[in-house]
Amino acid sequence: MEKTALDLQRRILALIARGLTHPTTDKEFDRLAREVFAFQYERCAPYRAYCDRVKLTPQTVGHWKHIPAVPTSAFKDFALTCFPVEEAVAEFHTSGTTREKSGKHHLRTLELYEAAIKLNFERHLVSDEKRLRMLVLMPSSQKAPHSSLSHMMGVVMHEFGEVGSEFYVDDGVLRIDQVVRDLSETQQQRQPVFLLGTAFAFVHLIEHMARQGLRFELSAGSRVMETGGFKGRSREMPKVELYALIERFLGIPRTRIVNEYGMTELSTQSYDLTMQTDRQTDLKAIPPWARVTIINPNTGREAADNERGLIRVYDLANLWSIMCVQTEDLGVARVVAGTNSFEILGRAAGAEVRGCSLNAEDLKTR
Amino acid sequence: MSVTAEQIREAMSRTREARERVWQHRTTDAVITMLAQAAKNWLDPKSSWRQRATEQAPTCTGFSEAMVNEAVDLVFGAITYESLGELLDRELGNRRVLDEFCLRGRVQTRGTPPRLIAHFLAGNVPAPGIVSLCCGLLLRSANLVKVSTHDPVFPTLFLESVREVDADLADCAAMLDWPRGELALTQTMVGDADAVIAYGTDSTVSALRQLAPASAKFLGYGHKISFAVVAKEAMTAENLPQLAQAAAFDASVYDQQGCLSPHVFYVEERGQLGPRKFAAALADAMAAYQARVPRGQLSVQEAAEFARFRTGYEFAAASDRRIGVWASPSGNDWAVIYDDSPAFVASCLNRVVFVKPTDGYKRVLDAIQKFASQLSTVGVAPMNERAAAFASDLTRMGVHRVCPIGQMQHPPLSWHHDGRPNLADLVSWTDLG
Repeated sequence: MEKTALDLQRRILALIARGLTHPTTDKEFDRLAREVFAFQYERCAPYRAYCDRVKLTPQTVGHWKHIPAVPTSAFKDFALTCFPVEEAVAEFHTSGTTREKSGKHHLRTLELYEAAIKLNFERHLVSDEKRLRMLVLMPSSQKAPHSSLSHMMGVVMHEFGEVGSEFYVDDGVLRIDQVVRDLSETQQQRQPVFLLGTAFAFVHLIEHMARQGLRFELSAGSRVMETGGFKGRSREMPKVELYALIERFLGIPRTRIVNEYGMTELSTQSYDLTMQTDRQTDLKAIPPWARVTIINPNTGREAADNERGLIRVYDLANLWSIMCVQTEDLGVARVVAGTNSFEILGRAAGAEVRGCSLNAEDLKTR
Repeated sequence: MSVTAEQIREAMSRTREARERVWQHRTTDAVITMLAQAAKNWLDPKSSWRQRATEQAPTCTGFSEAMVNEAVDLVFGAITYESLGELLDRELGNRRVLDEFCLRGRVQTRGTPPRLIAHFLAGNVPAPGIVSLCCGLLLRSANLVKVSTHDPVFPTLFLESVREVDADLADCAAMLDWPRGELALTQTMVGDADAVIAYGTDSTVSALRQLAPASAKFLGYGHKISFAVVAKEAMTAENLPQLAQAAAFDASVYDQQGCLSPHVFYVEERGQLGPRKFAAALADAMAAYQARVPRGQLSVQEAAEFARFRTGYEFAAASDRRIGVWASPSGNDWAVIYDDSPAFVASCLNRVVFVKPTDGYKRVLDAIQKFASQLSTVGVAPMNERAAAFASDLTRMGVHRVCPIGQMQHPPLSWHHDGRPNLADLVSWTDLG
């Protein structure tokens, strides 16, 4: 079995190494995905129990689209691994947005994870530049060892960061004055800069700048990667509004602002096709080693193109945990110029209550 | 369709004029008779009102036709000459007290209702809005009713059915609608009101409280949540089918959107049958109710929430024996989730209900203590001495209603909604002698 797993890992790594310009055929993806499924069914007892319960097993599943998905909440209740969990080299935790318990993603190796990060990031964010000075509005992975995002930022900073790249969150606090000083310095030196952070961090930065009457015209080539959004935070802002503010306060055009969609439970991220197409778009690309389907929550079956539903991700880089993850996010599948992409429409939780009852989202401890 | 400020002012003067006419020509008793007649006209299975509601309401409320039909029985079945009279007698001491001085103790007294009431209705549980309108008409006030976009149908049709029996009385109320966030229109509506009755989220209610004139009486009803407890005495083989049916009714009616809808059934252990048996029987009863009264269509978001709950617990149930899931085989029509953790949890609504074992009433009190201020109704079975002691404990925690399982959705007209009277808070008094 170990041999099979290592063989699978080698093949997936080879697939990732092929890069983003070589899409996988359905047949090619299907073959690998079903082998991964068979491996994970064998190795992960809670997953196997669930597959047996819904009667979808390697014997009965004839296509990757029928492989059972694990709801993200299951990462809170179970260690979903295909290896002895004590051998994990890293353990990433979800922030625990609505429930108290956080989900855990155990990694057996960083090899798959980091390979998936680098190529995808390079393609969608830095394909035109070798290195950029990165201002990361997050804690470093030394400060936040269980944050997958911090880990990822460490990887991309090492790979693509220019001298002077830095993390700006310490003990949960954004060192906002330092960010402003460094932005001002890059502006003076006409050095392009790459700001990376959560949407919330950008709102925080811009509100500070507005209060102080500050504005920057950051050098051409500067860019922003914004992620996650506002999960669990009190203040929300529509994406268009945020991007308009970034443009106004930092001088970074909307064609250089890219949203990243990633999850602790996954190894692969998706990015807006904005920089690829040189126009602001909400369409997200799916790298060749992953697939995204949109599930109609009423039927549990795949939704039609342009029909809203729940985003389900099949990520081959999740070889040692669970490949097929059912997210709690709503999206739509779009077919543009023959390529598959998708759009995110926000979290499913927090649906407006029609009646006068409270629901799970509203019930608060008082 | 949105109204203008001018139309609100026009409705205000129209309802006020009608009110003057009604005060001259109708006694309270006559109004009771008219309202009871209007409500009764809905109850016939072939009633044109019922028919119009089942045609029009599903689109905006999201309920199935059968659910609308069931709602008609629940809402209008409760409005009778007797129940309206009882409401007045109970809350004002005497139903004639608005018409003349009546002896109360050693003095005579007479009640004066508000001249103008502004009602803000919420969501798509029709009962509270209809009751609110009935109260306003019983008091012969002028009534401006801001309907919810989720249900303009029930209040509007009810007013039409009142018009059929008494046009002048119906003229005392006007239905208005405008998109959320039109602050200026809300201000116009409440500016002259002597009383404001508001249903909605806590934030909606407190925003309206801010806008209401300081001199106006204000009744606010925020959103609430309900649950039920099955004691071990009720868990017998003989009793279970009927109990499960009653529980399924409480949990399924209005697709669990109402504040009286239970989210959790705590079932006491050590009965003749265990809590899991209750969950299984409840699932059967939910399925039977679904066959008779289908759950309404869900929005994608609601369906996604349902799927999130269901698959999350199904995954856990596959390898965790402390959890069990019973759910409709096709689609997401209903789900019963058995979870032996005692923590109180709110459902995602739309007929998803939790069954949790408990060591007894004491443990239930521990589990719900943190949420006591948000509780509306607690269903119990059986209604015996132990349940009465439990009700006393709940009273101390601020719970306002305890009733038998099966009756959670049938509050009498004269119930204390959120612990308060419906009419008495609106009336002011003049004493003579």
